Amino acid sequence: MSITRILTSAVLAALAAMSIQAGVLDSVRVDARLGYSIGGTLPTRIGHEIRGINNFNLGLHFTVAAEATLPINERWSVHSGLRYEMGGMDVDSRVKNYDIEVVKGDESLSGIFNGNVRIKSTQRRITLPVQAAYSLSNSVSLRGGLFMGWLTHRRFWGWAYDGYLREGTPVGAKIEMGTEPGDRGDFEFDHNMRIMQWGLDVGADWQFHQRWGLYAELTYGFNGLFKSDFHSVQTLRPMYGTIGISYRIK
Amino acid sequence: MLSGLMMVLTTSCFGDEPANCEADIEAAILHVNNPESFFYQLTDSLQHVMSTDTAIVFTVKGNADVTALSPRFTLTPGATISPANGSTHDFSNGPVKYVVTSEDGKWTRCYTVKIVPTVHTVADTLAFDFEHYELETASGRYYTWHNLLHDGTLGNDWATANAGYRISMSTAAPMDYPTTPVINGYDGAAVCLRTSDTGPFGKMANKRLAAGNLFLGTFDIQIAMSDHLHATRFGIPFTSRPESFTGYYTFEPGDFVQDFYGNPIPNRTDSADIYAVFYRNHDAAGNEVVLYGDNVLTSEQIVAIAELDYVEPTTQWKAWNVKFEYLEDVDEELLANRGYSLAIVFSSSSAGGSFTGAIGSRLCVDKVRLICTTQE
Repeated sequence: MSITRILTSAVLAALAAMSIQAGVLDSVRVDARLGYSIGGTLPTRIGHEIRGINNFNLGLHFTVAAEATLPINERWSVHSGLRYEMGGMDVDSRVKNYDIEVVKGDESLSGIFNGNVRIKSTQRRITLPVQAAYSLSNSVSLRGGLFMGWLTHRRFWGWAYDGYLREGTPVGAKIEMGTEPGDRGDFEFDHNMRIMQWGLDVGADWQFHQRWGLYAELTYGFNGLFKSDFHSVQTLRPMYGTIGISYRIK
Repeated sequence: MLSGLMMVLTTSCFGDEPANCEADIEAAILHVNNPESFFYQLTDSLQHVMSTDTAIVFTVKGNADVTALSPRFTLTPGATISPANGSTHDFSNGPVKYVVTSEDGKWTRCYTVKIVPTVHTVADTLAFDFEHYELETASGRYYTWHNLLHDGTLGNDWATANAGYRISMSTAAPMDYPTTPVINGYDGAAVCLRTSDTGPFGKMANKRLAAGNLFLGTFDIQIAMSDHLHATRFGIPFTSRPESFTGYYTFEPGDFVQDFYGNPIPNRTDSADIYAVFYRNHDAAGNEVVLYGDNVLTSEQIVAIAELDYVEPTTQWKAWNVKFEYLEDVDEELLANRGYSLAIVFSSSSAGGSFTGAIGSRLCVDKVRLICTTQE
C-alpha cells in the first residue's frame, strides 16, 4: 500500500507543481500511442529442475496509451499517462523433480513431477507510469521511473502432462499423467494472481516528425505475479516490452 | 526482441541435472537353476512392483528349497539397495527386509521380500464375509479389505479403486469414499459400494463420477488417471473349478443417470454389476494375462462366467445364486499349476467405467460364497 501512496503523492506533486506555475499547462505535450507488446510474465530464475524449453511464446499484444510530458527545464521533464496493455505467455517446458500443486476448488493434488509442464497466461492491465524524461536532443529522449498497474483481466492456467507425479513426496504413489484433457493434471490459478502490480518502467522516444514518433518501453514488475501466500508455481514477474508509434495531439 | 529473450532462456540458464530423488524397487527377479520344478508358472519368477507396494511376494511350489536364494531388483536409476542386489539369503524363516536409498541420498523406502512355498490347495467353498477391513496404512484416508485365508491368516486379494478417488477428492473422509464398510450387513459387516461425485477435478476432466467397486485383483494407481480402464486388474490365481457364485445384496439406484458430460439421461435407471469370471492367465505365447475394465467379460481367455443378469433394486437383503457357464473344458494340470485366475467383480454402476451412472447408486454385498468342485 505504501507504494500506492508514494506514486499517488508523486502524481499529485507533479500536478501541484504544474498548477503552481501559471500557464505551465500550455507547455504540456500530449501523445496518443499505439504499441506492440511482448511479454506478460517471466520466471525470476530458471532452476535446474527445468530441464528444457519445448516451446516458448511470449505472444504479441497491443498497447494503447495517452501520455503527457511536462517540461521542467530545457533537458528534464515529468512524464505520465494512462496505458491499456494486453499481455500473456505460453511456455512449455520439460521438468525433473519439480514441486507442483494441482488445485481445483477445495481439492488439491501435490507432489514431485517429472515430465512436461505447459503454462499459459493472459492479462489486461491499466498502467499509470510516472517517469523523469531527459532530452538527449530535440528529437530523442530517455525516460525512467516507476509504474503502477491494475489487472482488469487475469488468467493463469496450464497442465502437467506426459510424465508422472509422486504424490506428496518422491516416495509417494506414482501417478502417470497423459496428454489429453482428463488424463493430464490441469491447474488454474486465476484468483491467486495479484490485481495490483508495480515496478520499474524505462523508455525511449524518437520524434522523427512534427506529429509522429517512435517509442520503446520496458516494464519490470517488482512484486510477483502471484499473491505472497501462493506457492504452487514458482515466482514469476510481470515483464513487458513494447515498441510502437506515437502521435502528438498537443 | 522475442528471439533475444528466447536465446537468453534457452542457452544460458539450465544447471546440472538434479539427482533422482525416488527410491523404488520397480521389479524383482528370482533366478533359480531349475525353474520348472521351482515355480508353478515361469512368469512367476518376475514380479513387477507397483509404486504403492512394499511387500514383494513370490509364490513357489510347495517343495521348493528357499534356504539360499538371490533375488535381483530393478531400482530407480541411481538408487542403491541394502543388503546388496543379488545377495543370497535364507527365506525359510520369513520375509527378508531391504532398504532402497535414492540417488540424492535423501529418500529411502523399506521393502520386504517373501518367498512362499504354496501347496496346491483345493477348496469346496470359499467364503468372503467382509469382516476384515482397515484404514489404508500409508495414508489412513480410505478403507481396504482382507480375505480370510484357509490357514487363518489374512490375504490382500480384494481391491477397490478408492486410491484413485483420493486423487480427485483429497478432502474426502474415509466414509465418503465409493467403497466403505457397513457394520450391520446381512451377517456381521458388509461392504457398501456407492457411485460418488468426483468433485471439481472430476468435472474438469469429464470424469464426473466414480462407481463404487470391489474386486479380486489389484488396483494400479499409477495409471488411474492416464488409462483408468487398465488400472483395475481383475483376477487372482485360482486352483479350484468354480461351480456357482452366491451371496446377498441390496441395491438402491441413484436418482438419475447422467452421461459422460453430466447431462441427465431421461427414463433410465442405473444398474449394478455382480459377476465372477474364470480365465486362463497365460496366452498361447506364454505371456501372463490379467483382465481389465475393457475386456473382463469379453476376453478370449475367459473359460467361465457367472453373472447375475439383473440386479433388481431392493432395500431388503436378497440372495443370489448363479452357476458358472463354461465355454471350454478345464485342464486339470493347468489348474493345479495356477494357470487359471478368478475375478469377482461388484460395481454400483455398470457403466461406471465410462463415467456414466447415477450418483448415489448404492450396492451392498455380504456373505459371498464360491462353490467349487474338488479335484479327485
